[in-house]
Amino acid sequence: MRIGIDVGGTFTDFVLLDDASGRIETWKCLTTPRDPSDAIEEGIDALSKAVPGCVARLEEVIHGTTLVINAIIERKGAKTGLLTTRGFRDVLEIGREIRYAAYDAFAEFPEPLVPRERRLEANERVRADGEVIEPLDEAQAREAARALSAMQVQSVAVCLINAFENPAHEQALKRILAEECPGASVSISTEVLPQIREYERTSTTVANAYVKPLTERYLRRLAARLKGLGLRGRLFIMLSSGGVTSAEIAAEYPVRIIESGPTAAVIAGEYYSRLFNSPEMFCFDMGGTTAKSCLIQNGVAGVVPTFEVGRVQRFMKGSGLAIQVPVVDLMEIGAGGGSIARVSRLGTLQVGPQSAGAEPGPICYARGGAEPTVTDADLLLGYLDPDYFLGGAMSLDVAGARRGVEERIAGPLGVSYLDALWGIHDLINETMAAAAKTHIAERGGNPKALTVVAFGGAGPVHAYGLAKKLGAPRLVVPPNAGVGSALGFFTAPRAFDLARSHKTPFDDADFAALEELFRRLEAEGEATLRQAGAAGEIRFSRSVDARFIGQGSETTLPIAERDLRRLDAQTLRRRFDETYARLYGRTYPESPVEFVNFRVRASLPVQELELPQRETPKVARLADAKKGARSAYSARARDFVPHAVYDRYRLFPGAAFEGPAVVEERESTVILGEGARARIDARGFLWIDLPETSA
Amino acid sequence: MTRAFDPITLEILWRRLISIVDEADAAVARTAFSSLLRDAHDYTCMFTDRRGRELAQGTLATPGQSGAMALGIKQLVQRLPAEGFRPGDVYVTNDPWALAGHLNDVCVLSPIFHHGRLCGFTACILHHADIGGRVASDNQDVFEEGLFIPLVKLYEAGTLNQSVLAMILANVRTPEQVNGDIRSQVAANHVCTAQVQRMLEEYGLEDLDALADEIIGRSEASLRAAIAKTPPGSYSAEGVIEQVEGEPDLRIRCAVTIQGSDIHIDLSGSSPQVRWGGNVVYNFTYAYVHMAVKSIFDPDLPNNDGAAMPIRLTAPEGTVVNCRFPAAVAARMQIGHFMTEIIYRALADALPARVVAAGGGTPATMQVMYGRRGDGRPFHAVMIRGGGLGASTARDGEGSFIFPANGANTPVEILESDAPLIVERRELLADSGGPGRQRGALGRREVIRLPDGDGAPQPPVQLALQSGRFRLPPEGLAGGKPGMRARFLVNGAPGNPYGLTQLKPGDRIVMDSAGGGGYGDPRRRERAAIERDLVQGKVSPEAAAREYGYDKAKEADDVTAR
Repeated sequence: MRIGIDVGGTFTDFVLLDDASGRIETWKCLTTPRDPSDAIEEGIDALSKAVPGCVARLEEVIHGTTLVINAIIERKGAKTGLLTTRGFRDVLEIGREIRYAAYDAFAEFPEPLVPRERRLEANERVRADGEVIEPLDEAQAREAARALSAMQVQSVAVCLINAFENPAHEQALKRILAEECPGASVSISTEVLPQIREYERTSTTVANAYVKPLTERYLRRLAARLKGLGLRGRLFIMLSSGGVTSAEIAAEYPVRIIESGPTAAVIAGEYYSRLFNSPEMFCFDMGGTTAKSCLIQNGVAGVVPTFEVGRVQRFMKGSGLAIQVPVVDLMEIGAGGGSIARVSRLGTLQVGPQSAGAEPGPICYARGGAEPTVTDADLLLGYLDPDYFLGGAMSLDVAGARRGVEERIAGPLGVSYLDALWGIHDLINETMAAAAKTHIAERGGNPKALTVVAFGGAGPVHAYGLAKKLGAPRLVVPPNAGVGSALGFFTAPRAFDLARSHKTPFDDADFAALEELFRRLEAEGEATLRQAGAAGEIRFSRSVDARFIGQGSETTLPIAERDLRRLDAQTLRRRFDETYARLYGRTYPESPVEFVNFRVRASLPVQELELPQRETPKVARLADAKKGARSAYSARARDFVPHAVYDRYRLFPGAAFEGPAVVEERESTVILGEGARARIDARGFLWIDLPETSA
Repeated sequence: MTRAFDPITLEILWRRLISIVDEADAAVARTAFSSLLRDAHDYTCMFTDRRGRELAQGTLATPGQSGAMALGIKQLVQRLPAEGFRPGDVYVTNDPWALAGHLNDVCVLSPIFHHGRLCGFTACILHHADIGGRVASDNQDVFEEGLFIPLVKLYEAGTLNQSVLAMILANVRTPEQVNGDIRSQVAANHVCTAQVQRMLEEYGLEDLDALADEIIGRSEASLRAAIAKTPPGSYSAEGVIEQVEGEPDLRIRCAVTIQGSDIHIDLSGSSPQVRWGGNVVYNFTYAYVHMAVKSIFDPDLPNNDGAAMPIRLTAPEGTVVNCRFPAAVAARMQIGHFMTEIIYRALADALPARVVAAGGGTPATMQVMYGRRGDGRPFHAVMIRGGGLGASTARDGEGSFIFPANGANTPVEILESDAPLIVERRELLADSGGPGRQRGALGRREVIRLPDGDGAPQPPVQLALQSGRFRLPPEGLAGGKPGMRARFLVNGAPGNPYGLTQLKPGDRIVMDSAGGGGYGDPRRRERAAIERDLVQGKVSPEAAAREYGYDKAKEADDVTAR
């Protein structure tokens, strides 16, 4: 038996899985921000009532948390110091010097996590090839360490120039800090992630140091509480890169769990993609404030090497702190049920990225929200049932929402009430489709072959419109779409990603030495997994990042060879050109190419999950699943038309029907337009084929 | 005005147009070689209606290109006879006077047809890494600076004009890359064309005219409304820009007249054009005038023809801000970037909350070092860097940036592995921010040494600098003091920042970017802010006493007295 626990900003979600029967139990309670383990204990208590004795039978607890990202955003981390090479203490503040908003002279940038007075320098220097050109001045380094100690720092980051080519000085400083700054936790860049580019590496190491004491404390307390509840199984933490690791490793490298929460949805998507043998899937999770999506090609979601946290301008790329850790390739935009509709300065309609959130929320929640939102429009369009919101647990104020749209949108814009309503729904779909198109195009995906998978409260309501705008032929909505993403906790492999920069041109490369480098990374990966209690055979997948010399970014090449010495520069170059041409349309054979990063993922096999087959009742009549009909807006008719309403829980395998229709479950509602054909498969998934359009 | 679109459909179509250029933009980012060589987004995709009025532009463009291009494409299109276009035609040009002011910016322009009728144009301009010629800022005329391509057809109704392409490729050092870059520009136009056609089809539109009227009309109205809030009047300022040693300083006279919702910038009386590459064509001057106006009045406004309507620019021909053919123009940013701060200064009293003091990132600094490694392999390192941002009424200048242009620096670790040099320091300079009630941001120092012995390059190593502010510092505003001047030292002695410097192994150069100007009287700076600067080491105790009148003991006495 396993349990997945996702601590989100508002809710903590629990999914209990009995591997033997495939039975799933879910629970949801409010997050307890002061100590998230309070809510965890509360939820486990509740689940033990539903499934008596489950705690003792738990083999694994898999935990995703927003603790780390929130600590950085809210600046609640430790008092941190930084030690750098002489001459480079301002790297953290100078950054890359690019302005994210070209026409804005007042654009704000985040404050560095370590202020200038706590950034000290060590006399030392390593050259680009790893050779020491100035030995570490130990006496001076001790003085710097003592100075940090006198400032009472709780955590220290160490990041030296070119350390990824030779970590000796960072290691020495780690030792010195342990002696001169006892009690402070230490993060050194070559252990956090030894990758080239000093600003990004310093920023990453500093972020790790900043959240390390807090993460250690939290995970230790959580483990103790779980033990107190009678847990005998192991605690695992979700990594941002899509694997899981032990609580001990997570406490050592907390910056690796920065996107711990949302990652599960991506892993669930990968699982569905394999389950349905679907070569291209677009996972779409739309909640109250944001929409998160990702492209899954041949069962695999991309992993990107950098992430940005704490954006001053929430959705402006470049306005946050750079964190150079592998993170699943997730796109987040400011579009959710709570997105506010307004009249823009230009006299047009604007929807989002501002959100009414949960408080005050949409007008229809009747909690003081005065500005119409996407949820208000969805309700008035007939897509949501005012009497069956959250399964009837919350009643909605239809009249108030209508007044809001009329007074704040239709009136000022001079359009009909209906046009205003549909405009809000259609515009948020257009915004999401525009972002999705770029995201898909940049990854070489093909919208025409795409299956859209919808999650989240608002996902299934908007998925049909989004799929239509993308030109995707198919849409699938898993059962319990609200918690569907949590299945990812159970299918994530035990894995750890390692990387090291080492720049060398293909033509000059010593492949035997590079093989040694790979083997060292693999040994380190194996040790990390074993330390986290992994038994059984460990698989390694290798890749390299390479670039045209002088180019600003790298291209990743998978390396299937278990021994690099079997490869030669020409073969590798051919593969680089093939990959480059496939991704970017052309290549430049006359320009020399070099290695930049070497990457290894060490992992245990994926634990496949068997979802239970649903039984078809002996007398299966669609009419029994039909709750009735209601009037909802049709874009084609440009008016309200009758939509059949189905109860998701009474739909059975093999059931098939056509749009226009509405399918309701507790946490969400699925909308199908005219001409769409829906069917339920053996596992209870709702599949929708979109009608072919002329566009 | 008859309304062809309701405001909701309009917003959806507008958004679609912007997403179409962004998609074309992404195609260039992915396929062009030159764009990969730098982190600056040095290319722009856009499209216009059939009269050449700009409708949408890629959101990431640098202000220099985006402002110059909107104007340039309109002029080009209106110069061509409308009946001469055929589907599949593709034009190419890099005429600095027609576009963005130097030969490296190559533009590819295509007409968009829908149902057999001309309905608009799409263009992609890209800064090519190489365009032949003598790469230096001291050329005498544009002919020395590289290949000049007048507006010619690269494709005639879909058929490639091999002769034109061959002529271009024969005149550049890296023909494969130039060819690849031109092809990616053609591809970007293709993306734009296909998507615009698809949108017109989907919404049952015959052309872009009515949509253009709405978009341009509303954008113009928005900018006008913002301008109209300013008290009408004439405001003026003079900018003084230093030149190559021995040449007199340049004067840019600037009169800004605001009348109702119109803004007129008159640069009459500015210095005549010069005999080196610092000359600025009208369109590039306009680009940084446009940057100033837009950033002051309406920074979030999407770029289109409407954003240009309220602005009128007078720049007499033959001056350095509207040079005559065939002036040398390759170093145009050394002068052109100053337009923004001069307009800021002119409007500083009228609109104090909307401007920042002059900064060390004007002009952008570009430093190129090239030569051969010890083993004979060539290297070529390009470094761009910013300086301290100027302070404003509300805030200290914080951060080192290239302003009003934009771009990213190169990491030290990448530089050191690409070229045989050691960066010894990249750090902020204490006391370099102009004192003021709000302090200017600190300038920064970069120290580079050429290794001696093991790893040494072959002598000589060439160093070319495009920069400024070595004699005349970034001025403060409203009583704020100037930031520290830029410095260029070779082995401890002042070097010539405007010439080519030859270096040998063991040499050490220091390049200090200027600090930002301060805002307001430094004696009125909050005590807490001074103390924070002291703790952070951004201001020294001596400077705190000298510039800000800070007396540590005095406050302590006050506390005791209380």
